[in-house]
Amino acid sequence: MQYRKNRHLQRLAGILEIPQDIVLDLPRITMLGNKQLLLENHKGIIEYTPSMVRIKLEQGELIISGNDLMLSNLQVEQILVEGTVGEVKYDT
Amino acid sequence: MIRNMFHYMNGTVKIKVSGTMPERFINLCIIKNIFLWGITKKNEGLFVCMSLSDFFRIRPIVRTSKNHIEVVNYYGFPFVIRKIKRRKMMVIGAILFLFVLNTLVSYIWFIDIVGVKSIPARQIRDLVYENGLRPGALKDDISIKSVENQIAATLPEVAWVGISFTGIHAVVEIVEKTISKPQDKASADIVATKDGIITEIIALAGQNLVKKGDTVKKGDLLIKGVGYEGAVVDSTISNLPPHRIRASGIIKARVWYESYGESELVTTIYERTGQQEIGVTLRVGQQEFQLKKVAVKPEKLVEVEVFNKKLSWWRNQDIVVESTISTYYELCAKNVEIGLEDAKEQSKAKAFTLLQSLIPETAHVLSRNIEVLQMPEENLVRVKVSVETVEDIGEVVNINKE
Repeated sequence: MQYRKNRHLQRLAGILEIPQDIVLDLPRITMLGNKQLLLENHKGIIEYTPSMVRIKLEQGELIISGNDLMLSNLQVEQILVEGTVGEVKYDT
Repeated sequence: MIRNMFHYMNGTVKIKVSGTMPERFINLCIIKNIFLWGITKKNEGLFVCMSLSDFFRIRPIVRTSKNHIEVVNYYGFPFVIRKIKRRKMMVIGAILFLFVLNTLVSYIWFIDIVGVKSIPARQIRDLVYENGLRPGALKDDISIKSVENQIAATLPEVAWVGISFTGIHAVVEIVEKTISKPQDKASADIVATKDGIITEIIALAGQNLVKKGDTVKKGDLLIKGVGYEGAVVDSTISNLPPHRIRASGIIKARVWYESYGESELVTTIYERTGQQEIGVTLRVGQQEFQLKKVAVKPEKLVEVEVFNKKLSWWRNQDIVVESTISTYYELCAKNVEIGLEDAKEQSKAKAFTLLQSLIPETAHVLSRNIEVLQMPEENLVRVKVSVETVEDIGEVVNINKE
């Protein structure tokens, strides 16, 4: 049921040319090389260590692993992760 | 940059969060809309930066998340203000310093007088003092215009005067009038100052006694200061008595100079070997004490440097007390050989420097002749230099009227 609703919304967004992250409440990830990672639309932090950051999303979580990771900006809408990002993984 | 300034103005607190679930603390902060930055995790715990106003709101969050917090560092404008409030005297001192500086700068401390040549600076200084411009005067009280006018009115030799303040200096700039010297009207002749052959003679006033091509000796009369009244028809038949005038004219003549220089091929120079000894002598009144004696060996060459030390005059009135420190440097003779060409160059330079003082700067040099003299001595290089010039040899000599 949820899956079908999402498919409809996605098609609607495609027809009306509305960005899909707004329609489907998806996170938007902007990366600057492997130095910075800006994540918008998150639901909080699950775990934080210098080698791994787990961030809760609407569906599932995002696992960022790397070295010397640092949360340099933390707000309701966005998280800025700085350091050396090695791997970004979705876990749904 | 702007964000950093914003953080500084609001004041930043860096805290250490320790406990089982520091992430919970972060999430609760996000929910409560508390802005966090610079989150790093180390072995001791989680370090978080937040603004000072947010710091007072986190107490319930800390309680619910069951964590411990500890302030590690704080900086920013609110903390500076608090520090200043505790040290009032420093602020008062700073304000007082600026006030005193401003007060002192508004007075004149020095007066510089620039541009005077014939007028004594003392006179101008006195005049300026009389008109109120003196060290210790307030800058605003001095009316520059009136002082300038006073100087210009009092001293007729001054063409222009300008006073300007540069900091605590008052600069009095003076431009003097150039007053032409009174011309000597006494009658005079023109006489040769050097031996030579006349190449050009133009009498502007007076009568020339020599002509172009003549050889003259030093002291010879060249232009005679005589003139005839009225129109000169024929000076020989004029029976009017000649009267004396001041002769003037242009006299150019060829003049020869000779000079001689010599230089040795092998010269002995004395160098300090580095060995030195110091002798000290103390003199009290008429008595002399040798504190440290130096045994000078007669066979060695020495150079002596003497330092005389006296007590300052006010301590040295009744008994004269002075010490003499003599430093003896050992010397060693060294023969330095220079090449034939170098020796020639040196001799030439010597000869030319001798000539330089004889030849006037206005002289036009026609030719230089350098001749190396052959001599029986092996060690000597002798050079003869002769220079031919064209120069003004006339000299105005006043005629004494008895």
